[in-house]
Amino acid sequence: MSTASAAAARPATAPSLTGVFVRLKLSLLRNGLRQSTGRTLAYVASIVVGLLFAGAVVLGLTALRGNAHAGALAVLLTGMLTVGWAVMPLFFPGSDETLDPTRLVMLPLRPRPLIVSLLMASLVGIGPVVTLMLVAGAVIAVADGALAAVVGVVAAVLVLLVCVALARAIATASVRLLTSRRGRDLAVLGGLFIALGGQGVNIAAQRLGRPDGLSVLEPLGEVLRWVPPASALGAVDDAGHGAYGRALAGLALTALALALLLWWWQRTLTALMTSPDSSTLQALEKDGARRSGTGERGLARLLPDGRTGTVMRRSLRYAWRDPKSKMAWATALGVGLLVPIATSAQGNGSMYTAFSASALLGAQMYNQFGQDTSAFWMVASTIATPRDAYQELRARALTLALVAVPYVTLVVVGAAALIGPWSDFVEVYGLSLAVLGALLATGAMSSALFPYSIPSEGNKNVAPGQGAIAWFSLFGGVLVAAVLCSPLVALTVWLHVAGLHQLLWLLLPAGAVYGVGLAEAGLRVAAPRVATRLPEILGAVSKG
Amino acid sequence: MANEPEHIEGRAETAPPQHSTVAPGGPATAPGDVMAGPPAVRIQGLWKKFGEQTAVHGIDLTLPAGRFIGLVGPNGAGKTTTLSMVTGLLRPDAGTVEIGGHDVWQDPVSVKSRIGVLPEGLRLFERLSGRELLSYIGRLRGLPGDEVDKRAGQLLDVLGLSGAQHKLVVDYSTGMRKKIGLAAALLHNPEILFLDEPFEGVDPVSAQTIRGVLERYTASGATVIFSSHVMELVESLCDWVAVLAAGRIRADGPLAEVRGAAPSLQDAFLELVGAQDRGAGADLDWLGGGRAR
Repeated sequence: MSTASAAAARPATAPSLTGVFVRLKLSLLRNGLRQSTGRTLAYVASIVVGLLFAGAVVLGLTALRGNAHAGALAVLLTGMLTVGWAVMPLFFPGSDETLDPTRLVMLPLRPRPLIVSLLMASLVGIGPVVTLMLVAGAVIAVADGALAAVVGVVAAVLVLLVCVALARAIATASVRLLTSRRGRDLAVLGGLFIALGGQGVNIAAQRLGRPDGLSVLEPLGEVLRWVPPASALGAVDDAGHGAYGRALAGLALTALALALLLWWWQRTLTALMTSPDSSTLQALEKDGARRSGTGERGLARLLPDGRTGTVMRRSLRYAWRDPKSKMAWATALGVGLLVPIATSAQGNGSMYTAFSASALLGAQMYNQFGQDTSAFWMVASTIATPRDAYQELRARALTLALVAVPYVTLVVVGAAALIGPWSDFVEVYGLSLAVLGALLATGAMSSALFPYSIPSEGNKNVAPGQGAIAWFSLFGGVLVAAVLCSPLVALTVWLHVAGLHQLLWLLLPAGAVYGVGLAEAGLRVAAPRVATRLPEILGAVSKG
Repeated sequence: MANEPEHIEGRAETAPPQHSTVAPGGPATAPGDVMAGPPAVRIQGLWKKFGEQTAVHGIDLTLPAGRFIGLVGPNGAGKTTTLSMVTGLLRPDAGTVEIGGHDVWQDPVSVKSRIGVLPEGLRLFERLSGRELLSYIGRLRGLPGDEVDKRAGQLLDVLGLSGAQHKLVVDYSTGMRKKIGLAAALLHNPEILFLDEPFEGVDPVSAQTIRGVLERYTASGATVIFSSHVMELVESLCDWVAVLAAGRIRADGPLAEVRGAAPSLQDAFLELVGAQDRGAGADLDWLGGGRAR
């Protein structure tokens, strides 16, 4: 019995490693799609958008055939594609599971066949297809004649291989960083970098869109055409103009770059797979430099004692140390300032755009306990009475107010100075404070009644399945806040209509008092609900 | 719910001798003597369903004060769900829980100050350093600042975390996290400590440290209730066990009583949960012999 079954258990011949990896990649793709229809839809949508975008660019490049600056543009496009491939693994480390070579560490694999197989598997996917289309478009734009077309085909393949190998090599070299805590923090902030990058592309596109805008590219193109893999596109251009020596040099440079990349990748891969991993190294690390001593230092000492100061200190530390909190604060502060500046730069600014500062900072009060993640159990286990819950909520509102009140003041003063008129300052400031108070009140209520989970990693800010709660609570809360502010708005309108302009100054104290009153009332109404709903809140914020 | 008194009577028969002196539902008398007070935990008719699945299936259980108590059961038996409901972190579908004679849901003020909790699967405020975390939770519990700092320093010292006290908890290893969680649970000197899988994923050195602290703590008359599926550990630490399987209590009482005639708690446990005769793979005839592939 043993011979027959033993023979059956052993595979007759080992399958090709490349085939195995390509199938693995396809299985991972398929299984990823099988998880949910939403994910399938998103993937199909990204394929369609990607192909449409690439198709449009190819059409545009084809139309540029013969343009004097087409060469520079093709070279620049290749350079941008390469940069994109280089940074992608840093911001989306989880995007491709086969990118993490540490998963293969226990398998008996030789480095050289492994590199070839991984490279081939990397060519499977929507990214390489779009890249190939864009490079082909760039080749079409510059290839002039049969020889240039042949060089173009070689160049396109080389560029694609360099891009993929570059992404792989960088992912491998930085896998230590990416699997460490700091690397994951960086990935959360990735969205911010992409937004900034998008803004840069936007500005660049506007400049290039001007008449003769393409000539701006020439000096940059001159340099880039000797930088691989853009040098391969330069070679296509040269081959069309009969500069065969330059063409050969351009292709050779890219081929050399590919060889160097593969060599570097193999070296880092071997080193990575044969040395101890970060968990071992971390244990050996010395205690960090964060030495706060036993007491509290600096400004933290000015905070009150008891629950209030304790919660405020923790919230402020989180605003700086927790990537999600940091991102939320940075967005609120940045956008709150950007709206008045952007509208005034466009020339149709109004002082009332300064409300954006109040609105965005006040919205931070929403889903307070979701920001704690499942660590909320520590808070829940110390809340026994509505009074505890009130102190907890009030401390969080005070933390927000500590930043928001000076910031709103600054933005309103700035808006009055830059947009004006100063005569509106008092009413805008008063109404801003009322808006802030109303949002603190509705935020406290919504934190108690509609908590939802914020996944601590990745770019998502709502756990799957809780999106509706998040949107409903935010929009519902903002609507209620608007209604709460309406008496003050009505007072403002009435003072204007009745021509009582000498009494408009009243809006500042009225707004401040009304805002504080609303916030206090909101906290008092929300506190008993928090105290009785602790297990429900904990359950909601622990999902995902 | 109408038949609750029957549950109490039924449980009273299996309760240890020291509890037979306490009248059911009677007030806690005899101050100073821990053993004569109310039981540490009294659970009656506890139910919890998650969708179609019943995680906890009508548990009645009385756990005496001043003991080192192990709650054992296979994975998915409902240990975490039970402990979450007992400590007020999860609302039961039905049933009551009393801790030291106080209802968990009716009288949270008396209960929350008396218990310390180390849950499993929930996070800590990980962007604080170990010392900051203790300082935070101690002050949140209303202890004076100086006292918190003093106790935190001593706990960090005893648990071997002094060297890492200024490192963020997010950078701690599993063992260090369990230790800082234990320190946070002990900071306010609770009467009863609930630990969910305190030794899971912990290295032997940290496990020994945790063990030492817990033994010192129970020696002073406090109660520890911890869940585990490592029988050897429970057998060597506990003097009282409750066996949980498929959301039901299969046995509870002093260790010797639950173990009965079985050679070890492991054997008694396998018999209780009915998992003894699972075949060890008669089909794996190709396995072994040292021939690769």
